[in-house]
Amino acid sequence: MTLSAYLALSLILFCIGLYGALTKRNTVIVLICIELMLNAVNINFVAFAKYGPHPSVHGHVFALFAIAVAAAEAAVGLAALIAFYRNRKTVRVDEANSLKH
Amino acid sequence: MSGTDIAFFLLALAAIAGAVMMLQLTNVVHMVLSLVMTFLAIAGLYVLLSAEFVAVVQVLIYSGAITIIMLFAIMLTRHHADDKERQTTGGVGHKAAAAFAVLAFGLAVYAGIRTLDFGADGSALPADNAKAIGQWLYSYYTIPFEIVSVLLLVALIGAIVLAKKDGKGAEDE
Amino acid sequence: MNLAWVVPLFPLCSFVLLLWFGRKWKQTSAYVGIAATLLSLLAAFGVLVSRLGGATYEANWTWMKIGDATLTVGVSVTALNAWMLVVVALVSWLVHIYSQGYMAGDERFSTFYAYLGLFTFAMLGLVLSPNLLQAYMFWELVGLGSFLLIGFYFYKEEAKAAAKKAFIMTRIGDVGFLIGVLLLFWQTKSFDYDDIFRAVGNGTLSPGMTTLTAILIFIGAIGKSGQFPLHTWLPDAMEGPTPVSALIHAATMVAAGVYLVAALFPLYEASAAAMMTVAVIGGGTAVFAATIGLVQTDIKRVLAYSTISQLGYMMLALGSGSYVAAIFHLTTHAFFKALLFLAAGSVIHAVHTQNIEEMGGLWRRLPWTAPLFLVGALSISGVPLFAGFFSKDEILAAAWTNGSVGLFWLAVAAALLTSFYMFRLFFLVFAGEARHRHDGAVHEAPMSMTAPMVVLGVLSVAAGYIQTPWFGSFLGEWLTDGAYHHEAAPGWIAVVAASVSLAGILLAWLMYGKRTVPRDWLSARAPYGYELLRRHYYMDDLYRSTVVALVSSISRLLGYVDRYLVEGLVQFVTGTVNAIAAAGSRGQNGQAQTYGLVAAAGLAMLVVIFALTGGDWL
Repeated sequence: MTLSAYLALSLILFCIGLYGALTKRNTVIVLICIELMLNAVNINFVAFAKYGPHPSVHGHVFALFAIAVAAAEAAVGLAALIAFYRNRKTVRVDEANSLKH
Repeated sequence: MSGTDIAFFLLALAAIAGAVMMLQLTNVVHMVLSLVMTFLAIAGLYVLLSAEFVAVVQVLIYSGAITIIMLFAIMLTRHHADDKERQTTGGVGHKAAAAFAVLAFGLAVYAGIRTLDFGADGSALPADNAKAIGQWLYSYYTIPFEIVSVLLLVALIGAIVLAKKDGKGAEDE
Repeated sequence: MNLAWVVPLFPLCSFVLLLWFGRKWKQTSAYVGIAATLLSLLAAFGVLVSRLGGATYEANWTWMKIGDATLTVGVSVTALNAWMLVVVALVSWLVHIYSQGYMAGDERFSTFYAYLGLFTFAMLGLVLSPNLLQAYMFWELVGLGSFLLIGFYFYKEEAKAAAKKAFIMTRIGDVGFLIGVLLLFWQTKSFDYDDIFRAVGNGTLSPGMTTLTAILIFIGAIGKSGQFPLHTWLPDAMEGPTPVSALIHAATMVAAGVYLVAALFPLYEASAAAMMTVAVIGGGTAVFAATIGLVQTDIKRVLAYSTISQLGYMMLALGSGSYVAAIFHLTTHAFFKALLFLAAGSVIHAVHTQNIEEMGGLWRRLPWTAPLFLVGALSISGVPLFAGFFSKDEILAAAWTNGSVGLFWLAVAAALLTSFYMFRLFFLVFAGEARHRHDGAVHEAPMSMTAPMVVLGVLSVAAGYIQTPWFGSFLGEWLTDGAYHHEAAPGWIAVVAASVSLAGILLAWLMYGKRTVPRDWLSARAPYGYELLRRHYYMDDLYRSTVVALVSSISRLLGYVDRYLVEGLVQFVTGTVNAIAAAGSRGQNGQAQTYGLVAAAGLAMLVVIFALTGGDWL
């Protein structure tokens, strides 16, 4: 199994996540799409840890850090979503436009 | 074709299928559940990449914790059935532009990674990588590790503060 | 005499003081103005007396150096200057006193005195100027004073229009003056009168250039002195207060044109063509304006046309080579015309109308004004023993001895017309029965108004005796530093002059006094001619339909260019900026995903560029 197969899979997942983050209307789904993008990145870390030029567990450590940060991000993002929902009674991204021109 | 290859293709297929289903489904809960499949498939891929510890963490954090939080958030914010509603923002132009940009990005990057190979066979990794990770984390990565703990604490407090009802609402209760 | 420069300073002080404190002093302002002009008058007398026994005085200070040319300012006291100083200061002082009564109660009383001070300062400064540049500056200042005073009742549309008209018409002449001055400077490298005369004398100035500059400067004089064809502002200027008409538009400012030509007389003498132009314009204007004066019904307008006519006389005298006669007539005219205007002001003050058809029978009601008006009328008509007779006789003699018979008879005709319209005016205003019931009692003017008129009345008679065929020609000898020799004019000229003036009076009496000849005798026979005169030969209409129409159509065209082309360009620029800003602002639509899309597209573009150029995968 080669590195490029893992990287291609990671790329596909990242692109799907990016497309979803840019087009989905529900804020929860947008956040989940961002998680998907982070996961794609993690695949890269782990794949390079095995098939990279200097194979070692440092890639795993970085993936763990990324997971921790992603967890923190998810927690804060959802808290912000709850606060937004309480104020505007909606979770739609396109209605969060108070800052427009 | 070795067994590893077959496993990779199946897992990759499962991951991509979960992600595509996430894009195509209309029910929000179904979307999250379809993504759980992707997360689990990625955990399997980690095993294939001989990263058992990360795979376990993946299952625990993503498939477990984050999915649960998301479902909670959906339930907390779901005020009416919006299954029939449009699931995406913007018009066709917006979607087409997004698709085009994503596609261009993907193709360009794919051109870069298509033949990428460093010739490593993966034998350099220690068999018990959980032990190695622990050693690295508590020696070489001590300070980042501690900082991550602080980050998590901050995220915890921040989430509580954000989600807490403001003073007026609290008085009403 | 070396203190001559203080003469104009007193009115300037009055002007400045009244501008600052006028509102507070109110009616007291008059005393400030009167005192300042009195000091000026005394100083002017002092200058005159010292000049009588002394030589010409001139003092110059360097003002600035431009390249090789040194511009100077200074004062010069020649015989002409000293004489003009006294005339101007005297008339100005009398008008100041008169105005105290006439303008009493006006809201802007102090402003009026301030303007009078400014005008007097400018006129005295003009007279004292030793060079053309300084003269030009004061000349414009005089124009400004005139503008302010004509437009004094600026809330009246007619006054506003008249002020603008006066300013613009004289400005047309001033352009000629300015070009003339600049040409002279170009040719002689100096603005000084003396240098210019020297250049004329030794041939530095070519004959053609002499004629050109003389005529250009004469155009300035035409504008200021209301000569044909730039005369139309002067009758309209009568919208100003009557004392102003007396001071500016009869006695002093309009005489500035005559003074200018007189001051530059050696320049004119060097060019026969220029002299001829001056004489023809003067003589033509004298008759032209007199005929219009025949049919006007506004008391001040009659006097205005009479002023134009008399100024034409002075120009005729200058053009005929008789410098002394022109100054002599200028002096006597200043007195009797100021008297006539002040008397007219007194009449207007009494009956509150300027239309002579609504007057009549005022002889008994105005026991001071009426006889004084009569004195002025006799004087201007050239009845023997009055001042006007001597000066007019002098001009006729000059025209005759100069050999221009046509101009001589023109002047005689103007004299006949003058006496006719003056006495038409007199009979219509003072004789017969009142043709209109006036509200309130018609009463004689206060002492402050009659006293200056009495002084002017005396001068209107006495001023003639400084230059007579019988008692010697004091003025002429003094003005020419003794080189004057009285031309042996035929004695019959005086007889002709006296008889035409008496004939004019007789005719007026027959028509308007005794009424043996019906008033419409002439107008019934030549209605078109009458209409022609009544409409001032359609000069105003002519200007309106040619010059004014042309200029306003050009200005309208330029206005369109400005409004649509320039403005359009500006609109285009601002519109472009606004459109760009609007587009940018539309981009700020608050949609986080749009921002994200832009960022992603940017990232994609960077990656694609990198892949296409920096990658080695191909």
